[in-house]
Amino acid sequence: MILWMLLLPFLAGLVGLFLPGLARGLGLVATLASGLIALAALFTPGVAFYVERPLFEPAGVYFAAGLDGASAALALTTSLAVFLALLAVKEVPGRMLALGLLMTAGLLGIFASLDLVLFYFFYEATLIPSLLLLGVYGGANRVRALLKFALFTLAGSLLMLAAILAARYAGGAESFLLRDLLAARVEGPVAVLAFLAFTLAFMVKTPLFPLHVWLPDFHAENHPSGFADVMGTLYKVGVYGFFRFAIPLFPAAFAAVQPYLLLFAAVTALGAAWIAYAQKDYKRLLAYGALSHMGVAALGLFSGTAIGAVGAIFLLAASALYTGGLFLFAGWLYARFGTLELAPTHGLAKHAPALAAFGLFLFLAMVGLPGLAGFPGEFLSALGAWQASPFFTLVAFAAVIAAAAYALTAYQRLFHGPPGKAVADLSGGEWVYATLATLAVAFLGVCPKLLSGPIHEAARAFVAAIGGGK
Amino acid sequence: MTALVVLFLTGALAALGGLWASPRAVKQGVRLGLLLALGLLLFAPSSSAFLGLFVLDPLARAIGFVAVLAALFASLVGCRYLEKTGIRAFEYHALLAFSAMGALAMAATPNLAVILVGLELLSLPLYALAALRYDEKSEEAALKYFLLGAVAAALYFYGLVLYFGATGSFAVGAVGEGPLFAAGMILLLAGLFFKAAMIPFGWWAPDVYQGAPTPVTLYMAAGVKAAAFAALLRVVVGAGYGGVWVAVLAPAVLLTVVYGNLAALAQSEAKRLLAYSSIAHAGYLALALFGPEPAPALGYYLLAYALSTGLAFAVLAQLDEGEGVAFGAVQGLIRRSPMLAGMLLIALLSLAGMPPLVGFWGKYLVFVEAARAGQYALLVIALLTAAVAAYYYLRLAAFAFFLPPEREGVLEVRPLASFTMGLVAFFILALGFFPQAVYGFFAGP
Repeated sequence: MILWMLLLPFLAGLVGLFLPGLARGLGLVATLASGLIALAALFTPGVAFYVERPLFEPAGVYFAAGLDGASAALALTTSLAVFLALLAVKEVPGRMLALGLLMTAGLLGIFASLDLVLFYFFYEATLIPSLLLLGVYGGANRVRALLKFALFTLAGSLLMLAAILAARYAGGAESFLLRDLLAARVEGPVAVLAFLAFTLAFMVKTPLFPLHVWLPDFHAENHPSGFADVMGTLYKVGVYGFFRFAIPLFPAAFAAVQPYLLLFAAVTALGAAWIAYAQKDYKRLLAYGALSHMGVAALGLFSGTAIGAVGAIFLLAASALYTGGLFLFAGWLYARFGTLELAPTHGLAKHAPALAAFGLFLFLAMVGLPGLAGFPGEFLSALGAWQASPFFTLVAFAAVIAAAAYALTAYQRLFHGPPGKAVADLSGGEWVYATLATLAVAFLGVCPKLLSGPIHEAARAFVAAIGGGK
Repeated sequence: MTALVVLFLTGALAALGGLWASPRAVKQGVRLGLLLALGLLLFAPSSSAFLGLFVLDPLARAIGFVAVLAALFASLVGCRYLEKTGIRAFEYHALLAFSAMGALAMAATPNLAVILVGLELLSLPLYALAALRYDEKSEEAALKYFLLGAVAAALYFYGLVLYFGATGSFAVGAVGEGPLFAAGMILLLAGLFFKAAMIPFGWWAPDVYQGAPTPVTLYMAAGVKAAAFAALLRVVVGAGYGGVWVAVLAPAVLLTVVYGNLAALAQSEAKRLLAYSSIAHAGYLALALFGPEPAPALGYYLLAYALSTGLAFAVLAQLDEGEGVAFGAVQGLIRRSPMLAGMLLIALLSLAGMPPLVGFWGKYLVFVEAARAGQYALLVIALLTAAVAAYYYLRLAAFAFFLPPEREGVLEVRPLASFTMGLVAFFILALGFFPQAVYGFFAGP
């Protein structure tokens, strides 16, 4: 099962590279199948569909993959987000979609891996299609954005490789299987250094201040349709990396640096939201807004509590839907106005009421309006974080005010002001996407239990691994 | 043993046959000979010949395989370049076969004196190969290579004499001590560092790689390095695991990875860039020498490197009009030939050590050896420089993919060259997903 979940998008992507015309159709089928497999895993207690086969046995590397609650939730929303994005975009090159499918396979691999080297394999492999998406289909300054992105990511992940090797050889574990590594944890100064290496890598990919600087350029330069941005949003797997590997493997080191991690997370949450408020371009606004959310998620996770971890993973999973949706929304605006700037979209509701309403709906989900998908994650993160540090929680959740500010600005822009250019409202394909996305976001908002229940099971294991009882 | 004879006969027949047979026949004959040798190496049982001076153990088999593979690759993808630049085909192919024989001899002996013979047998055809283009650049490269190669051989020879004086034996791993032995070992290592293009003895590589005909550079990078590392491995391992030679090796590795990668950053000529990258890769390879089981890691890395750098040079050989490959010539390759651009990307990503390509597993294995030896400081520096390396590989790929072409016209690639390159690209990918498939060949039974 798990193999099919990874193989189908991969094969669809591979075929799509050579036969671009088929990319969308195959991709829809493949991501639907992956999503269904993830959904089945969500309802299976424990680690679903666990597979363990030697990948490179003499080197202690196994193809060990399975989906526990947290992985299944993330795999589900990832598949769903890509499925919807494939529906939403039109008139984009088929090869671009194919690269997105290859990325999807890599992302699902990241979430399913239970072997550290296998995780690294997927983590790095996903980078290649993501670089190509940016480099081949990006804007005028793409090469600069690309090198910045690549350099940050690679510098982080290569250090992580050293830490991965240390995690096994300094502790004497028999293989790179997560359970073997957990049975023979590394202690002492090596553990601290290794944890810091993991931290750097995952801070780049969360991303957290001050290692986030690649992010705004990355989004601003990506293809205006927003498809590549959806993939980029999904690729922000740093929080998951902390949750699955870094913190459980080095709990003592985590406890030692926890206050600093909380600080970085809080600064990210607050700072990014304020910066978002000052942006004049949809994609940059969204980039910073999403960054602020990642700060909140990281804060929840770094609290070391089960409730905070549930919030973090929930936020990560749910934001795939509404942040991705907002990037596609920006793509639709670009198709109509020929620019991503906020200014010309005033009074959009006059000519395109449905489009404007959909945008507003997603903005409200993003700022955590209760009843929509953004709320449960943020709330649970806050609950967890409060137990660890009320001060940082207050700092971080000052961001909610800033978020309200940018969301209201967007509301004002879209619904008030003199009507600008007369543009078309939602077209057929866009209606399909908007309806499905709205349903998904609202459903997760009113029925968070679907995801939070299984995630909670995984979060309990996480807390047990770091020795807490909270 | 049989493989060695096959390679010798191939070279000799090609050299003699070139006088009366058509160059085409010689070319095909050499390819068949190399292919036969490759098959023999793949299936040959471990054996020993010439009173134990030629030992075909797993290491020798693997390294010999890589070297012959490199020669075959250079022979299969070089034709267009040879015609463009007016290089006579039969000399090129015959010399390749001879050089591959030297590489096998060098890899398959536990005797330091025979290593020297292999080294010369490997190098002499290469000096001629480097000069084959008959222009100033090519001759300069050949002369430089020859003179510095002679110095390397002299150093090695001097070391050999001292080693013999200290131990009374030419065998690797002979017991010795005192300043005489130390001086001998250091000189032996210096000589081999030369051939392996390790700093502080790798300065020649950029000029020679750039000046030599591109298919020849392919063989130099992929084949010669393999043979040099086989000898290096025998000498270092013979001296004992974790011995004092770590003290000599560690600074050399450090200098090599840092210098190779940083200098590569400043290049604007693709062959020269790959030359500096080959210096850097020598540093990564040497990391394996610290570990308790270096042979499989080294062999695997060399195979991965030969495939990747071979493919990169093969692409450049299709672009090269005889005056080298400035970045401008690579620019916009995707428009001129999507296939070549795709191949170049695969090769460069594999060189950068990115999964899911075979280069990742090569890097992974040598890093594991370094980790097992507890060399974390070196490991971290090597990994940081690997990020630098990724930057310049991606930059070259960016030229090929994201910038408009400088020259017009679609690039025609010959069917055989396309097929060969496609096959190599396939293996780079397939081994990335199934790394275990060929590991047994390197680890031995």
